[in-house]
Amino acid sequence: MQVNRKKSLAVLVTAPMVMSILLAGCGGSNNDGGSNASPSPSASSSSSANPSESASPSASAPSGEPVTIEVWANKFEDTTTAWFKKWTDEFNKSQGNVKVNLTIVPGDAWAQKMKAAQAAGKAPDVWTISYNGVANSAKLGEIQALNDLMDETAFDDLYDNMKDFVSVGDKYYAYPWLVEPSAVLYYRKDMFEAAGLDPSTPPATWDELLEAGKALTAKGVFGFTTAQIAPEISWSSWGLQYNAAGHLPIADDWSKADLQNDGYKKLVSFYQQAYQSGIMPKQQLAGYTDAKPFGEGKVAMMVNGSWAIGQLRNSYKDIVGKIGVAPMPTIDGNPNNTTATLGGWSLAVDGKSKHAKEAASYISYLLAGDPNVVLDYFRGAQFSKFTPRKSVDEAMKTDPDASKDEVRAMIAEKIVPYSKPEPIYPWDISLAFGTAIESAMKGTDVDKALAKAEKDINDFITKNKIAGTNPKQ
Amino acid sequence: MFKKNYRQDNAMAYTMLLPILALLTIFVIIPFVYAACVSFYNWSFYQDSTFVGFRNYYLVLTDRLFGKSVWTGLKFALMVVPSMLILSFLFANLIKNIGSKMGSFVKTAIYIPTIISGIVASVIFVFIYDYTGGLANYVLGLFGTEPKAWLADVGSALPSVAAPAIWLGFGLTSLIMLAGLYDIPESYYEAADLEGAGAFKKMWYITIPLLRNVILYLLVTGFTAQISQYELSLVMTGGGPLDATTTPNLYIFNHFRNDVMVGNSIAASLLLFVVLGAISAIIFRVLNSEKAVDG
Repeated sequence: MQVNRKKSLAVLVTAPMVMSILLAGCGGSNNDGGSNASPSPSASSSSSANPSESASPSASAPSGEPVTIEVWANKFEDTTTAWFKKWTDEFNKSQGNVKVNLTIVPGDAWAQKMKAAQAAGKAPDVWTISYNGVANSAKLGEIQALNDLMDETAFDDLYDNMKDFVSVGDKYYAYPWLVEPSAVLYYRKDMFEAAGLDPSTPPATWDELLEAGKALTAKGVFGFTTAQIAPEISWSSWGLQYNAAGHLPIADDWSKADLQNDGYKKLVSFYQQAYQSGIMPKQQLAGYTDAKPFGEGKVAMMVNGSWAIGQLRNSYKDIVGKIGVAPMPTIDGNPNNTTATLGGWSLAVDGKSKHAKEAASYISYLLAGDPNVVLDYFRGAQFSKFTPRKSVDEAMKTDPDASKDEVRAMIAEKIVPYSKPEPIYPWDISLAFGTAIESAMKGTDVDKALAKAEKDINDFITKNKIAGTNPKQ
Repeated sequence: MFKKNYRQDNAMAYTMLLPILALLTIFVIIPFVYAACVSFYNWSFYQDSTFVGFRNYYLVLTDRLFGKSVWTGLKFALMVVPSMLILSFLFANLIKNIGSKMGSFVKTAIYIPTIISGIVASVIFVFIYDYTGGLANYVLGLFGTEPKAWLADVGSALPSVAAPAIWLGFGLTSLIMLAGLYDIPESYYEAADLEGAGAFKKMWYITIPLLRNVILYLLVTGFTAQISQYELSLVMTGGGPLDATTTPNLYIFNHFRNDVMVGNSIAASLLLFVVLGAISAIIFRVLNSEKAVDG
């Protein structure tokens, strides 16, 4: 009895306590929702209507203390980090109004760190953003239009197809830094000779590629490697999808899946044959973007992005002379087909930045001003990346190293002009098709794999109501 | 007189409870309630939150991958927890029965994996499972077997990830099990010896029943911990091949990283909370905890 009374008393005391906390919590969240919402109208007004307004408070107090802006850059190659640090220092030294605090963020920590910073209202003023994120981020107000923050003529220097990468409507939301084709074929000339193949005529069709792969596979050496896990296949196959089907697996207005055709079937069975014929390792030796197994001689042919040539030149100097580089083979051997998408990075000003003008001046200095600043970056990357600016290409022609670099010339002439931009639809759609390819590689029937991907994509479209939301349309 | 004392005790008790109540409120109850509220919103850091009712829950529950990930988590726990318990039971008995010097050496040795971080263990096992240069395939090669795609094969990926989980966890469970063993009065075994009971009979009728509460504790904490496991698959397989190692927490983590709106991840977390609570309740129900009989 006594125990029961104690219990009921405890319930009497704690129940209202819990209730009040519950109510207070919900009420709190509503208030918080309100306060969360209040900065965003100002952010959206600055991004669409009048960006100079958001910049004016800081501009009105230029004298005295310099304005400090935070810049976050993704961690790429060490040479890139060095370049960022060097030219940020130069920027800080070149003037006294803006002081840039640069933070290099490792790729796998980026998303969490950024989410956390955004949640706390401490997102950096300037951050690196890949082209496929620009349109969506612009739509969400995460980044703001640069037209009024930067000298408009800076955008005239861009190649015409590049303008499309960073614009939504008639506004530019980021300034492009570099482009890199997602798929290039690398092969070992010495292994070609040993297998009785001609190193001067690399495979040009998928069938030739599979045959060469068989001839090159020997003890301890795999004939061919490319992406083989769904998340990596999802993006590295975009170029091949354009090649095989002429489009990506979704209608242009994002209203339905579009992958039940011969092109897509052939593409899936190409991956399936490559994996099941044993010319690829059954478990990947390294990620798609890593050229290490190729550099170590465990693989004779590798599909990888243009960046791999930089890694090979920096880390595997002894085999650089034995490496052949060619466009990724196409479905029918036509060299004018798309074989790659152009990924790459740009810098953008955060939607809530309090010093948008100053932030933009840093972008102008680093990417849009003197061609020699970015040229220094391309030199560090061993010319494995490509510039979106006409004036930088001009400067490169006079650079002694760049002008005699045959690989650079091959990629710039034979791959980049036929490349397409990366898709901007939600990642789930790419992943659905990447999963179809992986499951076909692991034994699922091609038609079944495609049917499942079609269903997944259509489900995603209905559930998330993305039909007709393409920001580019 | 009695009544007065009773009240005084209560006031004192509530005062002493206050600090922990305050801490729980700040770190558990408020975040929990806040999360529950956010789960009803389309919540992003840059735009107004909009109330969407149960839509986030609907999205999670109709996501084929969420159901699959809960199932994967269960399979993973079913692989890890029983093997860990059997292994630690054997080791605990071994430590109890060998000399105290040797015993403390074995104790230290099996506890070492516990202090190694899960990330480090995953990296070590990634090296072991390497397709061309790994220890696992080297050993297979000694027997003339073809190398195996440990982490890329849909069938073997989850067991391959479970191995480091067992390795990481069984040291601590062995020590807890050992403490339980020492708690069983020697007299019971002596009596059993007099009756002529063999080793197996003693284990079955004395050791295991008296370890019931320890086993219950290890089962509940083990299941909760292993279903929530995600860093092993994150580092070793990224959830692949074909989502075969995507545990519920990895599913939530992926959504948190990729989604623009956070409500979905929070709804999934709360649903996982329900799943874990249900599993713990079932275990409690099946293995009723009892006060030790030896008093």
